[in-house]
Amino acid sequence: MLVAVGSLTVMGVALGGLLGIAARLLAVEENPLEEELKAMLPGSNCGQCGYVGCALAAAALAKGEAPVTVCPPGGRAVAETLAKKLGVTADLSAHEDKGPEYAFIEEDLCIGCTRCIKECTVDAIVGATKQMHVVINEACHGCAKCFKVCPTDAIKMCKVPLTLSTWHWAKPEVGQTLH
Amino acid sequence: MADPIAVDVVYARPEQQVLLRVKLPRGGTLLQAIQASGVLQKFPEIDLARCKVGIFGKLVKIDSPLREHDRVEIYRPLIADPKEVRRQRAALGKAMKKGGE
Repeated sequence: MLVAVGSLTVMGVALGGLLGIAARLLAVEENPLEEELKAMLPGSNCGQCGYVGCALAAAALAKGEAPVTVCPPGGRAVAETLAKKLGVTADLSAHEDKGPEYAFIEEDLCIGCTRCIKECTVDAIVGATKQMHVVINEACHGCAKCFKVCPTDAIKMCKVPLTLSTWHWAKPEVGQTLH
Repeated sequence: MADPIAVDVVYARPEQQVLLRVKLPRGGTLLQAIQASGVLQKFPEIDLARCKVGIFGKLVKIDSPLREHDRVEIYRPLIADPKEVRRQRAALGKAMKKGGE
C-alpha cells in the first residue's frame, strides 16, 4: 500500500514538474495586441480580407502587413478604430461606406446547387440539393461570399432598406465634436 | 428523458422568411415540429405531401427524429430547370468564344 502511494506520488510530482518546466520553456508567445485587434474585428470569419478568419487578419494587422482598411464588412467604423489603436492615419477616401447590404436570390435562376449554402458563415441561406434557395434577410450580414460563387449569377446584393427596425441614430463625427 | 428539446422551424419566401422556435419532447420528429410551429396555418400554400423538408441544408425524411437546436427547413421546388439553365449558359459561352476570336 505505502509503496503504491509512494510510487504514484513520485510519478505525479516528477511528471507535474516536467510539464511545468515544459510550459515555461515552450511557451507560445501571444501578442496582446493581436488579441485586442481581433476583438475589434467583426469575428464572423467571412474571409473577404483574404486571410483565413479574423484571427489571422488580426495577426497580419499587428505585424503591419495588412492595411487598416483590410476588413470590407467592417467598413469605415472598423477601419477607424483599427487606425486609432495602431496609431496610423487611415486612408478612408477610397473606403466609402456603402451601408449594410444583404443577398437576394433570383428564383428564376436558382438551380439548387447548394454552393452558396456551403459558403455562408451565418446559416442565412435556407435550401437543399435541387430545392429553392432563399436568403433569410435578417440573418444575412452582407459578406457577398455567396454572390461570388453562384454559377448562374442568381444572387444579387441589395441595400438594406431603411425601416423602423433597421434605422439607428447616426454616431457623432469625432473630428467635429471635439474642436 | 423527459426534458424537451428546442428546435427551429423555418419557411422562406423571397419577400418573407419566418423562423419559429418550438419545444418538443425528446425524439420528436420533423412533422411534429412543423405542426407545433403553426407555420402551416400561416402559410396555407405549404403542401407537406409535395414539399421536401430537411435539417440545415440536408434533405431528411419527415418522420426522422430531431436533436436539440436542429433547424427544420421546409423547401420549395425550383422554378428553373437546372438542365435548361445549363444549356443556355453553354450556348452563351459558345457565342462569347466565337465573338472573341
